[in-house]
Amino acid sequence: MNSHQPVNIIMIEDDQGHARLIEKNIRRAGISNDIRHFTDGTSALEYLEEAPDGPTHNGPALILLDLNLPDMSGADILGRIKAEGNPLKRTPIVVLTTTDDKIEIQRCYDLGCNVYITKPVNYESFADAIRQLGLFLSVIQVPDLPEANG
Amino acid sequence: MRLSLKNMAVSDAWFNRLVIGGITLGFLALLATGLAAYHSVRENQFHSSRVNHTFQAERAIADFLATMERAETGRRGYLLTGVAAHAETYYKARKGLFPLLARIRDLTNDNPRQQANVARLIALTRSDLPFMDQSVALVRSGRRDEGVRLFRNSVGRRAITVLRAQAAVMNDEENRLLAIRDAATAGSIRLFYVTVAVAGAMLVLVGAGSIWVILGYTRSLAASRDQLRLLNSDLEGAVRERTIDLQRANDEIQRFAYIVSHDLRSPLVNVMGFTSELESTGQRLRAMMDKIDAEAPHLADKGVRIAVNEDLPEAIHFIRTSTEKMDRLINAILRLSREGRRQITPEKLDMNAIFRSIADSHRHQLDEKEIDFSIDPKLPTIVNDQLAIEQILGNIVENAIKYMSPGRRGRIEVRGRTENQRAIFEIADNGRGVERKDHERIFDLFRRSGVQDQPGEGIGLAHTRALAYRLSGTISVDSELGRGATFRINLPVAFVAEQEA
Repeated sequence: MNSHQPVNIIMIEDDQGHARLIEKNIRRAGISNDIRHFTDGTSALEYLEEAPDGPTHNGPALILLDLNLPDMSGADILGRIKAEGNPLKRTPIVVLTTTDDKIEIQRCYDLGCNVYITKPVNYESFADAIRQLGLFLSVIQVPDLPEANG
Repeated sequence: MRLSLKNMAVSDAWFNRLVIGGITLGFLALLATGLAAYHSVRENQFHSSRVNHTFQAERAIADFLATMERAETGRRGYLLTGVAAHAETYYKARKGLFPLLARIRDLTNDNPRQQANVARLIALTRSDLPFMDQSVALVRSGRRDEGVRLFRNSVGRRAITVLRAQAAVMNDEENRLLAIRDAATAGSIRLFYVTVAVAGAMLVLVGAGSIWVILGYTRSLAASRDQLRLLNSDLEGAVRERTIDLQRANDEIQRFAYIVSHDLRSPLVNVMGFTSELESTGQRLRAMMDKIDAEAPHLADKGVRIAVNEDLPEAIHFIRTSTEKMDRLINAILRLSREGRRQITPEKLDMNAIFRSIADSHRHQLDEKEIDFSIDPKLPTIVNDQLAIEQILGNIVENAIKYMSPGRRGRIEVRGRTENQRAIFEIADNGRGVERKDHERIFDLFRRSGVQDQPGEGIGLAHTRALAYRLSGTISVDSELGRGATFRINLPVAFVAEQEA
């Protein structure tokens, strides 16, 4: 990823198992970036927006977002981050969720999600998809945040 | 609601009886009043005529007495003065006496007592008049002294006094009758007043009762009309409400199914994922086992080898097949729920074309299994959602192809007709058929019938029926085991979407 500053991967995923499987497969794809895992929307948003080591104040990030969270909908988080005026607006967000409802997918793209991936139930496909995502992450260019730069 | 309507009917009957009774009573009272009045007036008239009659009789008696007095006065004047004018007066009065007596007799001929009195009066007059005539005649013929003497003979005085007494007796009699008749008249008038008063009171009573009843009835009528209006306006509201409720329930179920299937999927991803992880771990263990076997056989344990080589793969295999099946079921629920959420867009459908395209899409299988597929060339045209109709019919045709009897040449026949704004399509096959007890069961989710020699999850027909319901249609099967099955789809000729809430 970015050569000068390490990109943090922030994973917002309520299912511990999924998180573990995603992490395993990302690592298998050779991605060694720091992965921060949050199981609910509130703490994730707090970290994203407030934490001194969070992306708003410290460096570029990439967000992996699940839509089905216990305290809020992933779409809400998506909408909030991608809203006009949010310093994280340009942060790439990969929605990674079980929902393959067309309307839901459309809505996510409308809200500004960068990539939408449905978690395949078949594990081979799942692992494959995550590994490909890892490959994708390894070449993706993440924009620097104005605050982080300045 | 039914109960109160019944009550209303009861009160109606009660009311009708009351009103009819009241009106009858009123009319009876009126009739009675009329009769009483008629009777009273007649009675009154009769009594009046009697009273009048009495007065006439009294007057006649008085007239007679007066005439008699006049005759006497005339006679006496003539006797005294010899002036002819007095004689004239006497004769004039005398001429009127007998007609008056006849009149009195006529007027009193209903009363035997008066008749006797009249007879006596006549007799007295008759006995007196000759003396009077004689005395007047004597004066006229110049023998005045003789005449005066005759007068002095006092016969004249006695006669007039007796006559007066007799007339008085007769007057008394008439007065007695008058009193009786007056009393009778007063009685009849009193009776009339009483009758009128009673009838009036009755009329007032009936009127008041009628007004009370009518007011009550009008009030209850107004109340029931209001209730009816309320019910009427409520009915539409109730239907709308019910429809909204049903839609809400349906939406709820759809959402429930959607959420459940998603939430079930999530752990399933873990089960499958970690099963795979376990499998790869197992493979590593197996490789390790092989290495141990090759390099350090003394370390190898038989139990561990069995566990690694057999137990672990077996367990993983079962976990995997079960989760795969579960995944398919969840997907089926998800699909059903999604179909329920899809917008129905009705359009005009050429059913012959639709069946032809279904046949074409299964051409390969039809040819391979040598199945004859025939379509009635005049299928009714309907207005409905094309995709849903295609799914329903496609599923049934697919089943017909799938469950053919191996022993005989397959045949699938499509028929159609219209009945009362409903289009009925039949897809008949000569396949293995469905047992009677399973005719309803096959439409349940995950339920299948007969020998389980074909792949499938028992979703197709459940899906088909759910779809048919959504299109305001029904689907049923008529079949005998081993003789084929006929699936009947009943659809509206034109689908009308229910009003959205």
